[in-house]
Amino acid sequence: MNLEAAKLVFYEESYELLAAMEAALLAVENAAGPERGEHLNAMFRAAHTIKGSAGLFGLNEIVAFTHLCESVLDKAREGELAITTPLIELLFTCRDHIGGMVDAVRCGVAAPESSALGAQLKSYLDDTAQAVPAPAAAAMVVQQEHAGPRVEVESGGDHVVSSDHWHISLRFGVDVLRNGMDPISFIRYLASLGRIAYLTTLYDGLPNPEDMDPESCYLGFEIEFQAAPNVDKLTIENVFEFIRDDSKVRILPPHAHIAEYIRLIKDMPEGMSRLGEILVRGGALTPMELDEVLGIQRENAGAGEHRPLGTLLVEERLAPPQAVAAALDKQREHAAQKTREHRVVRVDATRLDALIDLVGELVISGAAAQLSASRSADSALIETIASLGELVERIRDEALSLRMVPVGEIFSRFPRVVRDASRELGKDIQLELAGEETELDKSMVDKLADPLVHLVRNAIDHGIEGSDARRIRGKADYGTVWLNAYHESGSVVIEVGDDGGGMDRQRIRNRAVERGLIQADEVLNDQQVLQLVFEPGFSTAETVTNLSGRGVGMDVVKRNIEALKGNIEIDSVAGEGTVVRLRVPLTLAIIDGFRVGVGQVSFVIPLDMVLECLDLPTDTGNSRQHYLNLRGEVLPYLPLRELFEVDAPAPARQSVVVVQYGSQRAGLVVDNLEGELQAVIKPLGQLFRGVRGLAGSTILGSGAVALILDVPDLINRAAKNERRKVALIAAREARHPALREEDRP
Amino acid sequence: MAAADSKKTVLIVDDSTSLRQVVHLALLQAGYEVIEAADGKEGLARLDGRRVHLIISDVNMPNMDGIAFVRAVKQLPDYRFTPIIMLTTEAQEDKKIEGQMAGAKAWVVKPFQPEQMLRAVSKLILP
Amino acid sequence: MAISSIYHHERCILRIDGSLTIYEAGEAKRRLMDELNLAREVEVDLAGVAELDTAGIQLLLMLKREAARQEKPLFFHGHSKAVLAVVDLYNMAGVFGDPVVLAGGAG
Repeated sequence: MNLEAAKLVFYEESYELLAAMEAALLAVENAAGPERGEHLNAMFRAAHTIKGSAGLFGLNEIVAFTHLCESVLDKAREGELAITTPLIELLFTCRDHIGGMVDAVRCGVAAPESSALGAQLKSYLDDTAQAVPAPAAAAMVVQQEHAGPRVEVESGGDHVVSSDHWHISLRFGVDVLRNGMDPISFIRYLASLGRIAYLTTLYDGLPNPEDMDPESCYLGFEIEFQAAPNVDKLTIENVFEFIRDDSKVRILPPHAHIAEYIRLIKDMPEGMSRLGEILVRGGALTPMELDEVLGIQRENAGAGEHRPLGTLLVEERLAPPQAVAAALDKQREHAAQKTREHRVVRVDATRLDALIDLVGELVISGAAAQLSASRSADSALIETIASLGELVERIRDEALSLRMVPVGEIFSRFPRVVRDASRELGKDIQLELAGEETELDKSMVDKLADPLVHLVRNAIDHGIEGSDARRIRGKADYGTVWLNAYHESGSVVIEVGDDGGGMDRQRIRNRAVERGLIQADEVLNDQQVLQLVFEPGFSTAETVTNLSGRGVGMDVVKRNIEALKGNIEIDSVAGEGTVVRLRVPLTLAIIDGFRVGVGQVSFVIPLDMVLECLDLPTDTGNSRQHYLNLRGEVLPYLPLRELFEVDAPAPARQSVVVVQYGSQRAGLVVDNLEGELQAVIKPLGQLFRGVRGLAGSTILGSGAVALILDVPDLINRAAKNERRKVALIAAREARHPALREEDRP
Repeated sequence: MAAADSKKTVLIVDDSTSLRQVVHLALLQAGYEVIEAADGKEGLARLDGRRVHLIISDVNMPNMDGIAFVRAVKQLPDYRFTPIIMLTTEAQEDKKIEGQMAGAKAWVVKPFQPEQMLRAVSKLILP
Repeated sequence: MAISSIYHHERCILRIDGSLTIYEAGEAKRRLMDELNLAREVEVDLAGVAELDTAGIQLLLMLKREAARQEKPLFFHGHSKAVLAVVDLYNMAGVFGDPVVLAGGAG
């Protein structure tokens, strides 16, 4: 078994469960009555499941801590504990703490200290333990005493699996004696298959005499059984086949067998995709046990609760956790074979990346084949290769879409962020989410989360006014912050908006001048002024609180977004609010590109960003100003020859490719237009690293390398040139108004 | 049921003489006492006060079928807690369930090997 | 099954003879409880128990627990072969094995 791979699943599961727990906590805060009970149940289950899974991996600290949480939640849902604000706060903290512990395991660092939180949790348990008998807490203490410091946990919590014995747990049904089925006979028969090493009779189920039906059975047994050779789980289970329907039978194999199951599961042929099937084939689970647990699962589902089979198997002690983990591992190996029952399949992200890499190679080879075919002038071949190319293109799209996840994955954390921030700042905030289903690349999702949290906190801190100010402006007392996501020409746009006071341009300008970011007389357009808040050193924490604008750490946000080849736009209307718009590419792997040539060098421009192509007017070709008049609009342009120092004479006729990113446009001057292609983005080689304006490289069908242009960076540079020039003109104009006409393009 | 030094008695009720005999022989060799009956009615007649530790009954029999027989046994004060093994066939899942409802909680599927029958019997009573 | 009782003052010697199984369980429960309620101290003689099943041992357990609850001393002795077989299988020698004074103070 690959324990590490299984652990990855555990992390994923834990994060999902923690998210569920958080959602439930938020709901509990706002709910009452039976609805509240349902949310408490959900929280309890989340804690319980994490505990169970953590036990699989011997993560004893997580087990111990989640056990405390679980116990407190159990009391809460039983109504033995009042849901107070401090308790909810504590549970929020505990949830985060569990997350921290999981993170710590993941990163291989020491787990955060739990004792203080643990003590707080315990105080809730102790309070009630005195008034009400607390079986859960009592059982826990007993277990710890017996198990000592080495808590070898499995989630039933009752027993410690040990030694080379089978552990058989029997709870006879109440009617077995009346049916002529005496436990004595079954146990004797069991003894004929080996040796009963130890047997404990449990009779705490025996009621008081007045309630006791003398014909009913009230006994249970815990048996340590040393099986004869060749006695497997099925054989043992068959001992109890006649009472199976009414009684609870749990058979846990000895360690040696667990290893054997794992070996069998690992050696299983390809094509097994169902967890239960894998476990049954491996001998870790009997068909009847599988039926039983599927029955439980159905019942749960009927109650509106979906529980993974693996979790149930471990909880019900039907199969050893290690074997379940091995089977999950096996199952993942066959994840591609979707079964009707698994609508969602977990795939290791690295494997997806490997697939996409391969698809990339396929695209390149396809292009090479197309090139050769067209040279051969064999029309049948050309046709075949063309249809092959179409298929490759579809495969590429499908493969890329596998990495797509809904942006809702990030959005779901914001109710908590907003709740915390609004409490901290004493502001009443309402959060609105839209476009959660918008998909983007998984790697983007991970990297967008932090910048978004930052922006949302900032909106609450600096965007939304105090309620007094709001009332004066005739706004609702509570402020609204919204998150919205949508697709726009090959990019994903995520907006963070608020209905606060808007940004004060004059103040931003003043501060920027004060900080030495701009000259006092520098001419900036509106967007450029607003963008100043993203400049490093624009503001510091202590000044920001007095500022109605924005500030803290916004330069970090901008850096993060730019690292994703994205950009930021701000819309702000004084008194009405602000929208910050993040625009990032859908994916970083393969793009549709437009190929251009300068001398012998090929460049690729992402096709989404190409607006149009036109000839470079000969009269402006050597102009220092680098402006074009595009149907009455000023279009700054950059000659790629100069920019990348291409050492070849310019041809008589050059072309301009007009590109757009966000709301900005620029022209790129090239020698030739070479048409569309699919470009598999490869990292830049050592030679080009550090060259600005390049986003990566790609290999052409001919085997030559083409450079992919970083259009946002180029547009930015063109715009900066423009800004500098406009400032220059303005300055000159002030001194020599007569020059004005000349300098205008 | 424990300790009695005398042998345990099994009643086999089936309309097939050969089947009764095979079972009889196997159980005898394993150390049980066996009494036979050809149908439910005869089976009830055998429950005449003697101690019977286990009953094996077929489902389909003339006169009184297995289900009716089981129901009748469950009414007899001295025999109502006797374990009963039903002999069913794969095709008669409904009969098996009916038998279980009536109180026959154990079963052996026909056709069976004598050892299979012995295993089923010894789960319920040891010789 | 036969349950007989002999009283020396309030000390009761209960003797169980024959089978103590599910067939006798209803009747046995009544008798055992009646005697326990009457007596101040009970000695259960198991020498005559010829057959014991799970229903039977549950009754003995019940008797023992109820005596403890009523704070009446209760002993088992003379375990027959049939009793020992079940007690051994159920690993309950600690419960039924040596005569032990169960209730507080009477030791």
